[in-house]
Amino acid sequence: MQPSYPIRLSQIGLVSVVDVSLGAIIQFGDRAEATPRLNALAVQRAIDHTKAGSVYFESYQIFNRPRQKLIDPVAEAGQDVSIRRINHCPRINVGCVFVTAVGSTSSLLAGNAMRTTAESRIKHIRQYEKSLINVT
Amino acid sequence: MVNFTVHNCGLTVGNIEILGVSAASMLQIGDSDYVTLYSMFDTPPESIIAGPIAPLPVPEGEEDAVGEAPMAG
Repeated sequence: MQPSYPIRLSQIGLVSVVDVSLGAIIQFGDRAEATPRLNALAVQRAIDHTKAGSVYFESYQIFNRPRQKLIDPVAEAGQDVSIRRINHCPRINVGCVFVTAVGSTSSLLAGNAMRTTAESRIKHIRQYEKSLINVT
Repeated sequence: MVNFTVHNCGLTVGNIEILGVSAASMLQIGDSDYVTLYSMFDTPPESIIAGPIAPLPVPEGEEDAVGEAPMAG
């Protein structure tokens, strides 16, 4: 019988990342809990931003809508699946990791995690000049 | 109750090349207990490109495409 190790270490030779943006996480090491959240309004406008005024998250239902939840009494009681992990090797080896962009509450993690709950809500809107809208 | 046993044997990877990790996604080298990822993305039906668009030609072999609406005309 091979030995079983309590946790595995991650060994990476090289990590190359060009861009990290909008609530993204890059972490080397272990973590217990991470809950990154992002609300974004992507506005495309015909008029200059300095003249066209503000936009508000409250105007759009996507930012207030509750998250979908799994309703399963068996799962909530922890009686659905029992997972047993046996680590025969204490390491995960990776040569090189090349990532161009990490964004919108995503995460790049080298290490172990207990619980991750990421949430991203993005709404695209277009705003035209008034003269473009045909008002009768 | 499902009893699920995972045997993690040796894991060695050469290179990982990724263009983008976006909108509540995750790239992990390691172990996790719980992962919950929510992403809501909304583009309006009137989403159009305002301004000049590139005058692209009809794709090659367009007349032979099966089950697609004709692009020319």
